[in-house]
Amino acid sequence: MRIAGLGVTFFGLLALMLLLLILPFAFPFSTSVILINLLFYTALAYSINFITGMTGYVSFGHVVFLGIGAYALGASADVYGLDPVLGVLLGAALGLVFALAIGLVTLRFRGVYFAISTVVIALAALNIVLELPQLGGSQGIILNLGFQPYSWYYTIWGIVLFEMLITYYINRGKLGLGIRAIKSDEDAARSVGVNVSALKLYLFGLSGLFAGAGGAVFAWTTSGVFPYETFSLTFSLQMLAMIIIGGVGTSLGPILGAVVVYLPSYYFLTVAIGTQLIIIGFAVVVIALFIPEGIVGTLKRRSASLRELLE
Amino acid sequence: MLKRRVGITTKTTAIIVAAIILVVAGGTSAYYLTLPTKPPPGGTVKVGFSISLTGSFNVEGAASLNGMKTATQWLNSNGGIIVNGKSYNMTLDYTDDASQTSNIVPLYTKLVQQDNAQFLLAPYSSGLTAAAAPIAEQFGTIMLSHGGSADSIWRQGYKNVFEVLSPASTYLRVAIDWLKANHPSDKLAVIYAGDSFSTTAALAAINYSKAQGFQVVYQSSYPTTVNDVTPQLTAAKSAGADDLLGGGHFNDGLLLAKQLAQVGWTPKFISLLVAVTEPTFQQQLGTAANLVTGPSQWEHTVAYTSDQAKSLGLDWFGPTVAQFTQLYQQVSGGKTPTYHSGEAAGTIFVLAKAIQSANSFDATSVKQVLSSLNFMSFFGQFQVDQTGKQTAHAMVLVQWQNGVLKVVYPTTVAETQPQYPYGA
Amino acid sequence: MVALAVILSDLLFGMMLGCVFAVVAHGLNLIWGVVKVVNIAHGEFIMLGAYGAYFLNVFGGFNPLLSAVVDGALGIFVGYAFYFSFLHRELRGKERITLRSEMVTLVSTFGLSLFMSNLAVVAFTGDFVGINWSPGTVALGFLELPLGALYVTILAVLIISTSVVFLDRTYIGNAIKAYSQDITATQLVGANPTKVASLATALGFSITMAGGALLTVWIPTGINPYMGALYAPISFVIVVLGGPGKMLGSLLGGLTLGVVIDVLQAFVPVSLAYAVAFLLLIPVLLFRPEGIVK
Repeated sequence: MRIAGLGVTFFGLLALMLLLLILPFAFPFSTSVILINLLFYTALAYSINFITGMTGYVSFGHVVFLGIGAYALGASADVYGLDPVLGVLLGAALGLVFALAIGLVTLRFRGVYFAISTVVIALAALNIVLELPQLGGSQGIILNLGFQPYSWYYTIWGIVLFEMLITYYINRGKLGLGIRAIKSDEDAARSVGVNVSALKLYLFGLSGLFAGAGGAVFAWTTSGVFPYETFSLTFSLQMLAMIIIGGVGTSLGPILGAVVVYLPSYYFLTVAIGTQLIIIGFAVVVIALFIPEGIVGTLKRRSASLRELLE
Repeated sequence: MLKRRVGITTKTTAIIVAAIILVVAGGTSAYYLTLPTKPPPGGTVKVGFSISLTGSFNVEGAASLNGMKTATQWLNSNGGIIVNGKSYNMTLDYTDDASQTSNIVPLYTKLVQQDNAQFLLAPYSSGLTAAAAPIAEQFGTIMLSHGGSADSIWRQGYKNVFEVLSPASTYLRVAIDWLKANHPSDKLAVIYAGDSFSTTAALAAINYSKAQGFQVVYQSSYPTTVNDVTPQLTAAKSAGADDLLGGGHFNDGLLLAKQLAQVGWTPKFISLLVAVTEPTFQQQLGTAANLVTGPSQWEHTVAYTSDQAKSLGLDWFGPTVAQFTQLYQQVSGGKTPTYHSGEAAGTIFVLAKAIQSANSFDATSVKQVLSSLNFMSFFGQFQVDQTGKQTAHAMVLVQWQNGVLKVVYPTTVAETQPQYPYGA
Repeated sequence: MVALAVILSDLLFGMMLGCVFAVVAHGLNLIWGVVKVVNIAHGEFIMLGAYGAYFLNVFGGFNPLLSAVVDGALGIFVGYAFYFSFLHRELRGKERITLRSEMVTLVSTFGLSLFMSNLAVVAFTGDFVGINWSPGTVALGFLELPLGALYVTILAVLIISTSVVFLDRTYIGNAIKAYSQDITATQLVGANPTKVASLATALGFSITMAGGALLTVWIPTGINPYMGALYAPISFVIVVLGGPGKMLGSLLGGLTLGVVIDVLQAFVPVSLAYAVAFLLLIPVLLFRPEGIVK
């Protein structure tokens, strides 16, 4: 079945990324800034895809890593005047560290217990930040890093590229076999010698790293970090909705989901006010109950030719 | 399932898939680019902004938008803006921002680049205003803030961002000023919601009251998700506080006032942010609302008049308070303007006055005028310091007296005297 | 130095708050314990119950205690509707719920929660509303206790103890218990598993919505479309503390949480008190996954 070497999905995504690479030069800023947001959501979707998509561990509180990344950039730029690109790296590093620490404890919990423990951690994080005057407490941090569409764009573009490559590599390689085994039956996977705990922690760390990087870009583009906005569970829900709609665990699903969820909700701002999340919520219900494989999974099931091409 | 022979080669399909992806990405961008940009027709000036019609600021956003619409309508039907002897109408170009900071950058870039808005109004709230400020700065477009009052925005060195409303840090001063003049030995408790605006206002109040010689015997904030403040009220009571200051947004004020009864504490003086000015505050609390005070940016009963402006040696611009309130009711379908409406409408008149005084639409000349402008409208006085921060607009103190909300302080604009103590 | 009176008052208020939390979480506990499904949209049904009480008050002049009865009755129908649209496909004919089905219900009820809370914004507007009902206070030494909260506390305890008696002493209750232990055993006692599971779900929703009505007494202004975002996680923590399926566990978990939150506030900022309360879940899951009391 498997085509040797790199598949069509790989080249498709590569072509798309190359196209995105030159777009800012072809179009005015007003287009680039929409693409920045689209790439930001894409980055979040790939990030949660590592853990929830690949292993089935639903990380409802994933926003906590976004928040950590945002505060890393916000505080370092505000207090030490650190260059924002370094702030993004710092956000990624802290996202990784926190993900490993949190994952070490919470990944022992199965199914719904894991999901709930991530939610309470995200809520607790918000409540703790509110009482940290070093991070601006409830007043948050207001930044003035300027309007830097090119820097924003290529930073988030780079993050997405990394995520795509890693996702593809995992899904294609030996790691993917072990991970799929965890998803279908964790105990069976363990009994055939898959190092389940290490694999889960590795994926959770990756997802924390990229969510942290994405969060840092968020703080950078919105010129500030505010506790309620940054730790808003709506972010968790949006990224989750994106991979569910796009296709969990796949290499193509997250970007497809981000496009399908973000672009309409942006256009809706000017048309059908207040309906975005209602529609997204409804779509998630329908997809979870009737087509749990999402767009990519369904296309693969329906069409024999697409099965080999979409990953 | 039978494995079907596929008629097309893998390669062809690959190209098709890639093409679909490219078309989707390219198509959406192209769609957005080909949207008709509307060059301002001759004789109009275009003002762009985003406003929160959904999400957490939907109530404030709707009131602000109605205020802007009212102000624009009054302006256009009363001669418009006169530049070089020619009259220009003002048009508003706005979209919803869903109260989310992530929407601000694309929306404001579009307003400037695609819609060719000549002037900008900030979105509602400090967080959204902070996100929009770098764009105004980048394109050198003037942006007036009507709902973002965090002091730190004006510490960023922006040259194009001007504040029309009083900064958050000044909200509770007016109450403390009155206490200082009348009950200087009261002990204060400050309990406030842990959001950006309320924290700024409350912390500034704590510092200011200490500087005025007051003793703050209890202070505490709570997260806005929490709906129970009985522990704090009990602690404040047992700390021996006479007066309660603080609150947050509407539900916070209501919560504090209601739970006072639950813990059996009757402070002598209560001043709460935001909530007190809403008519529903009195409807929901009944007698418990009586004699509660609160600061307000503006009220439709406030007594700013052209005579007052004249006595201060200032120009008066725009409608009277009564004219504005009446037109607002027409525009909004029978609603009474809140101070959010007042702020937003006041901003429109500031812009119109500045353009008219500059006698030009050129950003540099208007900016110059704004930084030295000092005049009065139905919203009160306008003057900014060199950072663009508002310094002249005064807060007023309001109090519910027998079911009617009255402006009670400062004396120059007050309808009547404050009554003390609460619960009498 | 924190005054003893403050701590005592916080303790008492914390216990009352805990009982309200308990009844709000109790419906979740029942469903989680019996059907082994966690309803992520639990908070939205609390919100629905609260709005029910609000509208009954506005249009019918009902007080929240009375509205709790009406909400409870409505909850039965809502619960059956929920069971057959969300759970039946996953549970029907299975001997035990699979991890895959658990994920399906988790994700679909998550979608439901997004859908409901945002639809509520359109239907009810985003304004915070409250019910104007305060039956006064009663003096207790140096403390004054709000009577409304006291009634709610008593009702909460009553609802939870009734459910214990119901499960222990009635035939239907025994069938539900049997289902929670072993689905095939339900058939042995002569009951139809689907009927038992759907009934348990309906009862859980009934209690949840009644709890939403009772909650409005405690939060005089906090009825709004997004209120579920606080009470759902609080309910999750309570059920885990008490142990899913242990009916008295709701009370135990609720009291623990209420007292921790209120008493801690005498010493640390409120935010941190809530943070500690939320994080209690982690050590309990690590060391006592079956709840704090065996």
